[in-house]
Amino acid sequence: MSILNVKVADVEQVTDMVKHFTLVQENGQPLPRFSGGSHVVVSMNINGRIHRNPYSLMGSPENTDSYHISVRRQENSRGGSVFMHDGVEVGSTLQITYPVNLFSLSKLGKKHILVAGGIGITPFMSQIADLNRLGDDYEMHYAFRSAEHGAFVEQLQQMCGDRLHLHIESEGQRINFHNLLSNQPLGTHIYVCGPEPMVNALLLTAKDLGWPKTHVHSEQFLAPPIGDSFRVQLVKSNMEIEVPGDMSMLEAMEEAGLEPDFLCRGGACGRCEVEVLECDGALMHNDHYLSDAEKASGNKIMPCVSRARCQKLLLNI
Amino acid sequence: MQRGYWIRSKPLYDSLVWQTPAVAHLVVAGGEGGIAVLKLFQQMYPKEPIQVLYADLPTAKKNYSDILQQIVLEELDICDSEESLLANLEQRLKDCTMGTHFYVAGSEAFMWQVLQKTRAAGVQDVDVQKELCGTLARPVYCVHCKTITRDVHHNVFPCSNCGRHLFVRDHFSRRLGAYMGVMVDAEEPGNIPQIEEVYP
Ligand code: FES
Repeated sequence: MSILNVKVADVEQVTDMVKHFTLVQENGQPLPRFSGGSHVVVSMNINGRIHRNPYSLMGSPENTDSYHISVRRQENSRGGSVFMHDGVEVGSTLQITYPVNLFSLSKLGKKHILVAGGIGITPFMSQIADLNRLGDDYEMHYAFRSAEHGAFVEQLQQMCGDRLHLHIESEGQRINFHNLLSNQPLGTHIYVCGPEPMVNALLLTAKDLGWPKTHVHSEQFLAPPIGDSFRVQLVKSNMEIEVPGDMSMLEAMEEAGLEPDFLCRGGACGRCEVEVLECDGALMHNDHYLSDAEKASGNKIMPCVSRARCQKLLLNI
Repeated sequence: MQRGYWIRSKPLYDSLVWQTPAVAHLVVAGGEGGIAVLKLFQQMYPKEPIQVLYADLPTAKKNYSDILQQIVLEELDICDSEESLLANLEQRLKDCTMGTHFYVAGSEAFMWQVLQKTRAAGVQDVDVQKELCGTLARPVYCVHCKTITRDVHHNVFPCSNCGRHLFVRDHFSRRLGAYMGVMVDAEEPGNIPQIEEVYP
């Protein structure tokens, strides 16, 4: 996968928990163009171990001088976000992948409803820039816990004007999905990014109200969960590796020198899929990609987020 | 026509089945498509509001208008031509909201005229239930003079505009709502294969 070497040009503390990083290409060249909703995967070298986390690009897709990402500090996670907060400063260098868009606006949409929870606002920042440029009809609904957690509110007010609807939980304002999804004109598309319960609630309401799946878009990148360590035999590569509890299978393969495919690293896109040849225990599927039937059949696994609890696991990679 | 041949662009049609959950249902049919509406109304009714638009076309072999008037107790509009049905549909689409399910039945040419309207309203073709009724006749687009001839029954036919002998391919354009027709005797003028009625 092609890599861009970038340098941190600016760091801004947006809220207690959120930092915003401005990245420019180390060689001073403009960065590749992207479309609203794209993300990049940032590689970080944490004590000799490579971590890779996906972050949405927030800037205007028109601007190729710099990329903008925001990182929420997740205390009880595997350290990527903490490293970004504590270890990355102006002048630090990072490696990122080329932008990939798994959350693009529908070109057929007549109206777009954007729904964000917390840090889930980030992919919408670049989408709004696209929508403003195209002059499309949209509404931005942004829910967050309390006023001090509302990252980028001022910027959004400037970008969206009265299309912005804030829902501040501590003030008792919750988004009523049923009302939001009722009586929308034909050709409306809805996009949601935020915590899992919120995304699931919205998807369920859309289904209950008869919205076709083609009009409902969600982005939910999961952080790889921590678990017990296990061993995997990689048949084509002819090796056996150990997956430590705080590493994903994908990371363990990379650590072993392999270059497996990936796009989202969050169980959403399906790109990293590998075939399971044998497993004498249980596969722990954590992705959103495989159907329930596929998960049950146990023939495939998404190594970016899924794990196993077994003595013997053979993968066709 | 190639036997057992599958091409991605060739549309597939199904039998109409009520789709739930939904907030409303809009059923559009023309000519022999009436039978698909009658079959639909033999299934258990959904509880949401239903509208039926039917175009009484000369191709219908039965008097579906009369039968529909007895069976469909919901909102029913009978139009006397495809044009008036399409104009009526265009108006109704303005009042439809997300969650409305769409059903269309009739000849291929008729269905794709309807789909042009629903698509313009922001409904994706895949989200419309389609049932092909009465005939396999194809609308065919002449790639030379860019005219669509409707209701083509034969493998090779003369274009209704330029008169070239066109071979009907399986390649279908959703945007045009027609199969592609290419000149059959371009290399050897006058060498026209046997003409057969393959789309009765
Ligand atoms: S990389 Fe997207 S599902 Fe694993």
